[in-house]
Amino acid sequence: MSVTVSVRGLRVSYGRRTALDELDLDLGPGVHGLLGPNGAGKTTLMRVLATVRRPDRGQVRLLGQPLSDAVGLRSARRQLGYLPQSFGFYPRFTVREFVEYFAWLKEMPAAQIPLAVDRAIERVGLLDRADDRMKHLSGGMLRRAGIAQAIVNDPRVLLFDEPTAGLDPEQRVEFRALLRELGLDAVVLVSTHLVEDVVAACTRVSLMDAGRLVFDGLPAELIAAGGVGDSGDSPIERGYAAVLRDARTAAR
Amino acid sequence: MRRILRTELRRGTAPWAAAAMCGAGVWMLAVHPEDWGGRWAGLVNYLRTSLLILCALMVAAGVWQAGRERRRGIDEMVNSTPRPGWQPVLVAWLAVTLAGTVGVLVAFAGAAVLVAPVATYAGDGWWWTLLVGVLALGAATAGGMAVGRLVRLRLAAPVAGLAAYLGLAILTYWDTKSAVWLAPVQVAQAAYQVVPGRVVAWQAGWLLALTVALLALAARRWLAAALAGVLAVGVAVPIVTGPGPNRLPADPDAVALVCTDSGPKVCVARIHAFLLDDVTPIVQPALARIEGIPGAPDRAMDDAARPVDQPQVPGDGTIWLHLDQQATVRGGLANQDWLASDLRAVTELNCRYDDHDREDERADLTGGLAHAWLFEMPASPVVPVDRLYALPMPAQRAWFADYLRAAAACDVAALIRLGQPR
Repeated sequence: MSVTVSVRGLRVSYGRRTALDELDLDLGPGVHGLLGPNGAGKTTLMRVLATVRRPDRGQVRLLGQPLSDAVGLRSARRQLGYLPQSFGFYPRFTVREFVEYFAWLKEMPAAQIPLAVDRAIERVGLLDRADDRMKHLSGGMLRRAGIAQAIVNDPRVLLFDEPTAGLDPEQRVEFRALLRELGLDAVVLVSTHLVEDVVAACTRVSLMDAGRLVFDGLPAELIAAGGVGDSGDSPIERGYAAVLRDARTAAR
Repeated sequence: MRRILRTELRRGTAPWAAAAMCGAGVWMLAVHPEDWGGRWAGLVNYLRTSLLILCALMVAAGVWQAGRERRRGIDEMVNSTPRPGWQPVLVAWLAVTLAGTVGVLVAFAGAAVLVAPVATYAGDGWWWTLLVGVLALGAATAGGMAVGRLVRLRLAAPVAGLAAYLGLAILTYWDTKSAVWLAPVQVAQAAYQVVPGRVVAWQAGWLLALTVALLALAARRWLAAALAGVLAVGVAVPIVTGPGPNRLPADPDAVALVCTDSGPKVCVARIHAFLLDDVTPIVQPALARIEGIPGAPDRAMDDAARPVDQPQVPGDGTIWLHLDQQATVRGGLANQDWLASDLRAVTELNCRYDDHDREDERADLTGGLAHAWLFEMPASPVVPVDRLYALPMPAQRAWFADYLRAAAACDVAALIRLGQPR
């Protein structure tokens, strides 16, 4: 695996509470699922990788660029796409204007922007609503507009925090297909609570608990970790529960 | 960047700023048409007066625009992008400033349509007054954007707008002498007066440096903000240490006299020449009535043409007319009573008395009699001018000459005696 995201000894605290503790992680091209209970540190990790939260300690490299120096940071951001968990939007902008605005913020060459915007909107299935104002879109459509802004610059690192929240089953299936397509030549990290998304779309999966990485492997390996007696309605849910249980037992 | 600017102009705070500024501009123009009617320089001066409200609105618009990312929960996505933060700040500032400026200029362009057919003096210095006004709108927006980016308060926009209004009001109306030039609001200047070019240049420099400092603050470019701030302070020093706005010189072309061709002489400044046809029928009959009476004025002149260092002297043979706030929207005379009060100066008593209140009152009543006679007013129980009218005209004129003489000498006994005409 060619490593394009590298995290070493990452530590992030909010006051006295440690959100990430000595975290090491390597990611290469493909779709990576990031699982974990609430408060495990998934969103904090996403925010660090998205360059909006500076770590207290440790080193983060995106596409070989260290985020600690200004040149590397700017260079990495040009190759980055990010959809945060709480996704905001400008209600009076049209979908096209909104995505175009982010293409500009991502310093795309002006001549490429119109085509890239149309392509991104088309990939999320919103081309027929491209000239509608954001305030007239449903929750699922807004989410797709958010995904469009994340992918407009054809990023090599894509970070999606709870991207399928608000999408109906049909849209989720389409989104998984998009994830697989994006993962062919980019690092796609998807934080989610929906384990079936991981099985369906991810090539690798990482599981976090209490700010630490407790599992990193293939979805099949996570499934294999579960036994008949573990809680959960599906094999991956049983694997998820088993890994968490073992990690917490070992931590005591 | 042009496409993004266009989007901001259509979808950001800009359209609201344009509408608010246009509405406020129309309202301000409608409230005091006498301040600008018929005069280009008056119109631009009034724009500068209106900046007290307009700048406060632009501050509020800037705060609202700058707080948008945080309000809409989009700041995290924006912060993950590579474009330097000052660029979106600059585009947003430009959009709000352009829209707000266009909004207010549309309102004033409407007023200009009314001024154009009436104005009798164009002048050229008012372009610079206008330019400083536009720069002030940009500075106000930048100030609002700095507040909007740095203050996490939901009510920041109205609070900052109100604070700007109060701050400008204090700077403008408080007796700070030359420091008043730091505020772009202009209240003490008549349309025919000119602000020295040196002051206008310093004002423009001050507002530009202030704008850069505030935008840098909004973009969290602390070093650039500090440098521009130092520059702004450096430009402010010669302003606050220079002469204040008192006794501004008049534009010699604006106050060149335009006079009546026939009858007693009535002269107005060229900038007020459109009022001559309305002023003459009121002033000339009064002048004609006292023509040839010893000590009576024989001409009426526009006070705008009076040199700054020449005080008004009673009995100098001139009635001074104050026309700076006398124009209606269509160029007519706004208030005949104000003109009458200028003419009242002819019969006014400027005496100091001792403790003889009764005598004062009777002397004042004589003054009222003289005023009523001058304007051929009807008699009343308080002003029994009918007894004066009963005298032959030569006797009436002799009585008025005696009154002027007694009034000039403050001869109370004579004034009381004249109060009983026989």
